[in-house]
Amino acid sequence: MGKVDVLNGNKAAAWGAKLARADLMAAYPITPQTPLVEYLASFVADGVIDADLVEVESEHSALSVLQGGVLAGARTFTGTSSQGLALMYEPYIRTSTMRLPIVMALVTREVISPQTVWGGQQDAVTVRDAGWIQIWCESSQEILDSIVQAYKIAENKDVLLPVNVCYDGFSLSHMAERVEIPDQKLVDQFLPKPNITHVKLDPNNPIAVDPLTPGPMLTEFRHKQVTAMHMSKKIIEEVRQEWLEMFGRDYGGLIDLYRMEDAEIALVCLGSPAGTARVAIDEMRNHGIKVGMIRIRVLRPFPDEEIRKALVNIKAIGVIDRNVSFAKGMGISFLELKTVFGGLKMPPMIDFIGGLGGSDVTMEQIKQAIVITQHVAEGGEFQEVTWFGLDKIDVETLFSMDKDRSLKLKGVSG
Amino acid sequence: MGVNDGIRDNTNYSTIPEGARPTLEKNDAFFTKKRFGFIFNEEKKTKEVYKEITKVQDLLSPGNSACLGCHAELALRTTLRILGPNTILAIPPGCMGGIGAVGFNGGAGAKIPVFFPLLDNTAAMLAGIKRKYIREGRGDINVVAFAGDGGTADAGFQSLSGAAERGENIIYICYDNEAYMNTGVQRSGTTPKWSWTQTTPVGEQTHGKSQKGKDMPMIMAQHNIPYVATANPSYMHDYIAKLKKAMKVKNGMSYIHLYSGCPTGWKFPTEKTIEVGKLAVETNLYPLWEYEDGKFRLTYEVLKRRPISEYTESMQKYSHLTEQNLAELQQNVDANYKRFKKLCKI
Repeated sequence: MGKVDVLNGNKAAAWGAKLARADLMAAYPITPQTPLVEYLASFVADGVIDADLVEVESEHSALSVLQGGVLAGARTFTGTSSQGLALMYEPYIRTSTMRLPIVMALVTREVISPQTVWGGQQDAVTVRDAGWIQIWCESSQEILDSIVQAYKIAENKDVLLPVNVCYDGFSLSHMAERVEIPDQKLVDQFLPKPNITHVKLDPNNPIAVDPLTPGPMLTEFRHKQVTAMHMSKKIIEEVRQEWLEMFGRDYGGLIDLYRMEDAEIALVCLGSPAGTARVAIDEMRNHGIKVGMIRIRVLRPFPDEEIRKALVNIKAIGVIDRNVSFAKGMGISFLELKTVFGGLKMPPMIDFIGGLGGSDVTMEQIKQAIVITQHVAEGGEFQEVTWFGLDKIDVETLFSMDKDRSLKLKGVSG
Repeated sequence: MGVNDGIRDNTNYSTIPEGARPTLEKNDAFFTKKRFGFIFNEEKKTKEVYKEITKVQDLLSPGNSACLGCHAELALRTTLRILGPNTILAIPPGCMGGIGAVGFNGGAGAKIPVFFPLLDNTAAMLAGIKRKYIREGRGDINVVAFAGDGGTADAGFQSLSGAAERGENIIYICYDNEAYMNTGVQRSGTTPKWSWTQTTPVGEQTHGKSQKGKDMPMIMAQHNIPYVATANPSYMHDYIAKLKKAMKVKNGMSYIHLYSGCPTGWKFPTEKTIEVGKLAVETNLYPLWEYEDGKFRLTYEVLKRRPISEYTESMQKYSHLTEQNLAELQQNVDANYKRFKKLCKI
């Protein structure tokens, strides 16, 4: 059953598409997604995948070919990044409003300008309200597993929404690690053949897809779409359970909790920084700080109730964001978490912005974030948003009142 | 003043200019046998063709909001009759979408599977549909675009060019009414030089569009796809023969560029559409040709070329042209035709 290989994120994604038996794929190369297209091409060339790979002239056409494919009943796959996603935006938003269950790897990258080709999450978070489900990964294994799961979620009759499987460019797309490739027969058992009928263009059963629609009818469509997005939470949980039973792996469904059982403070992470955060948390626990982590695995639909439940008894929250919102200059996760509590009383929360344009979110930085969050938990004051690398962080001063702890945390300050 | 207030609205909303008379009136000064003698030569072929197409079902749903005298709507009806029910039809935003050919308010605009692609992804979406059906062993389905000049030569060009280069097995028909007519007559990439449009007005400083239009069918021929043709709904038998050839192509894209007279946007009487279309051919402005197996061929030889002024005078969009403009235009038309004849000999 299955086999073990060393795969980077892009190759894991290609394996995911192969195991899901996507039969129509189209993609346009863009850094850092490019190797994914190359892997798909070689899979098709070697007969590993029985699919049409359409080498289109742009990302706009890549998604458009897939849309046509879905209208003919195909299971489809593509991937893109940054400017490619921006070019794709026109068919992108229509994919969700037409309720097309397309799965797309979104290899997250910073958006220009300044000119850059390196990692970041700005591309994906900018389109978080275009109606796609967004699943964020932390490892190659999770990328492979999530892509297969994504089809099961997307094609569910109560959902029928497209899914982005997001993974950080370079940090995940180009880093190789041990991955278990599940057995095809088992995956086939998990994921039956697609049966997409609501938009099927077939001369044997003629229908008009997307005719001119007046406002009242459109309102009903939109309401159904929002309801489906809400409904997908339940389906994501069901798929998680089924995957766990069949393959023995679990990523926590909507949110992924780490050492939260007895945690007094919590970090909130999205994407690749979560991996580093786990190591930092283990280390800081040794220093006596009871810190845990919530990794937002699904950004859309936003797991508001789940996060509120997990954070309600926490003394302070530190959020790590590899992206910014231009609303008030904080990160997107921070902004979303604010809405979780709405008018309710919430623990103090501070934001750390880093990892933009391919810069690293280092162990050092995460440990600083933990120390500062602990300081806030103990009633200390700190600025709401801290930019790693720009703001001077003097951890020693923070703890000057507590000499013991200051000693313990020696070496943490940046 | 409304439907229920009992007051009758006597305003004439017709697009027919005052004094215009029906085509078949014997003493019509415009429609003389001398001027339009060629129509009678064509009459027999046309009758035969209509006999054929009226035997099959009209696959457009009854009732649409096309302007009176719309060349494109006439072509679309005939197109669907020839394509038959084993067809999937894409109508991107434009006049034919606007008239409800995809559908409106929950109703379907055609009796075959039909959908709205985006303005700029028609060819790519069709490629996806065709690829999937070929995989399923149903490659005999006609996968067809009926797109305007904006969705073809401008916004849709990248997607079309890419699909042509990849050899996607789709039929792409462009109805070219030489401007964005559905949004109310704004210039497009195919709007010819000096044409009046809302965005290329005639004023103190301007004289209609100052640039030449794109030669779309020639651009598509240069993609070296299996079949390219120009056609004109005023020569229905010629168009139908070309459409049938396009349907036979299995090794790539076929492209038909349909001249499409627009009484609303070009400003000519709605009952003159067929005549205006004929003049476009008889003046050698829009020769009817096809490109097959790398060869160009005229499908309709004009025996005696009519002066271009007969064409420009048949509509108001050229009413501002000077003698000098007309001389230059005549020179261009003759030079283009001469070059095309040479091309046919290669």
